[in-house]
Amino acid sequence: MVPLDPGEIVSWAGRQTLLKRGAESEIRLGTFMGLKAILKLRVKKPYMHPTLAERIVSARTRREAKVMVEARSAGVNAPLLYAVFPSAGLIIMEYVEGPLLKDYVGREGWRSFFREAGAQLGRLHAAGIVHGDPTTSNYIVSKGGLYLIDYGLSAFTRDVEERAVDLHLFRRAVEATHAGVASDAFKAFIEGYRSVMGGEADAVEERAREIALRGRYVEARRSVWGGVGEDEGEQAIHGNGEQA
Amino acid sequence: MTVVLGIESTAHTFGVGIVSDEPPYVLADSRRQYVPEKGGILPREVAHFFSRVAGEVVSEALREAGLKIGDVDAIAVALGPGMGPALRVGATVARALALHFKKPLVPVNHAVAHIEVARFTTGLEDPVALYVAGGNTTVVSYEAGRYRVFGETEDIALGNLLDTFAREVGIAPPYVVGGMHAVDKCAEEGEFLEEALPYIVKGQDVSFSGLLTAALRLHRKGYRLSDICYTLREIAFSMVVEVTERCLAHTGKRQVTLTGGVAANRVLNRKMEIMARLHGAVYKPVDVRYSGDNGVMIAVTGLAAFKRGVTIDPRRAFIRQRWRIDEVDLPWYPWIPGR
Repeated sequence: MVPLDPGEIVSWAGRQTLLKRGAESEIRLGTFMGLKAILKLRVKKPYMHPTLAERIVSARTRREAKVMVEARSAGVNAPLLYAVFPSAGLIIMEYVEGPLLKDYVGREGWRSFFREAGAQLGRLHAAGIVHGDPTTSNYIVSKGGLYLIDYGLSAFTRDVEERAVDLHLFRRAVEATHAGVASDAFKAFIEGYRSVMGGEADAVEERAREIALRGRYVEARRSVWGGVGEDEGEQAIHGNGEQA
Repeated sequence: MTVVLGIESTAHTFGVGIVSDEPPYVLADSRRQYVPEKGGILPREVAHFFSRVAGEVVSEALREAGLKIGDVDAIAVALGPGMGPALRVGATVARALALHFKKPLVPVNHAVAHIEVARFTTGLEDPVALYVAGGNTTVVSYEAGRYRVFGETEDIALGNLLDTFAREVGIAPPYVVGGMHAVDKCAEEGEFLEEALPYIVKGQDVSFSGLLTAALRLHRKGYRLSDICYTLREIAFSMVVEVTERCLAHTGKRQVTLTGGVAANRVLNRKMEIMARLHGAVYKPVDVRYSGDNGVMIAVTGLAAFKRGVTIDPRRAFIRQRWRIDEVDLPWYPWIPGR
């Protein structure tokens, strides 16, 4: 039986099988009301002041639970929410089985999953939600289709800037982890995104390009966004060096 | 044995380092820092200062190493990123040395050099790196030939946040006294404020401008300055450590380092250490002697690049004020002097 007291439930959750210790939380596998369930237990960061750590855990847990519900009703494949205990930092949800999108690159039909990933983000945006951390580690390729998980940094907004940050983050995650196929992967992702967002996507893509150029020392650079830097020393860097 | 002389002049420090690929590796480390009497740094004044000291810093370094310029195998120079007028002084000196003494010239990216000197001093082969300085806040990790940016600030840098706050509330300049930043000094008696200062992490990126504005607002409202300093620092440091943690989790790497001008900070180091332990990763910050801008880091990186044949025609060695770390190929990786 699952105890319902917040204090007890944390210790109960802590006894379930540990699947993964992420940056944000511990993911454990347990049983809830007879169903195989994922327990996501946000850990208070020991490197933060306790007050700050608690504030972050409670706010993110609350928001994530709310977003999961809204996302599903908007047609996004989010895991089904079973229960939530904000002060304990615990969310109990449906167990989704399968490889992460990041580990699926290169396997059969991987491009179509990137397209689907874009479409799901589009549906989320269309419902007035931004994800906040849409990397290839946050999509699961499951038998039941592609799932978008981890809504810990999500927010309710239709702001072009926030939507653009999502695209920017996905693009950068793809460039960082899948440098060889980044261009293909992102193209498929954008196709899917556009298939849902239609003309609204133009402004978001445009803003995402701007964000990529905004950092402190950023210059227009070759990337999957296209565009080449105009700088006095553009060729100089390649030099005449031979690489042994 | 290969010996490289490296020149740094991207911001407030004109530095010359001489490094060889055999022990004791670092043969010379000479520098002069431009310190403004009040306010921030003006690029033109820095350039003027640099052009006055450049000659003596180069000779001082050669003297320290007990070498003549003829004994040096190559000249390395930081061509960017940084302030144009300051960069031009270093580039001009480097081009002149290379052309006059017929030495190969090696282009070095300043940001890459901060990571390389961290790898050099820590012995960590393939770490996730948090690079925090006056003008930089970036989390990078090597992937497919380059340092890839996993997270960065969307607006101002961490060092810039601390400096600006200190200046605006009147506790700086000087920004650093006895190795301690004015904000750290002020935070010593402080306590965490319940009034929420914004904690802004978007995915793997951070944003500090809202935090700066909110902290200045609390100051105007009359909150105790030590409490604001403590809370500001607590939130800002927690943000960068959290994005570093995300990068560690995303890449699955087992090593973490901290580099750049803010890397000597004790409070930040403590947080990084706790975070790394949480993930069973090894944590080692850059040797504090090389955390701030210096010529050694340019020489170390230049040496690694030179041994892989990376050189540049001096007549085409232009500066690049905004040269991104992820534009630079690293054919030597993970090799570094001492490995």
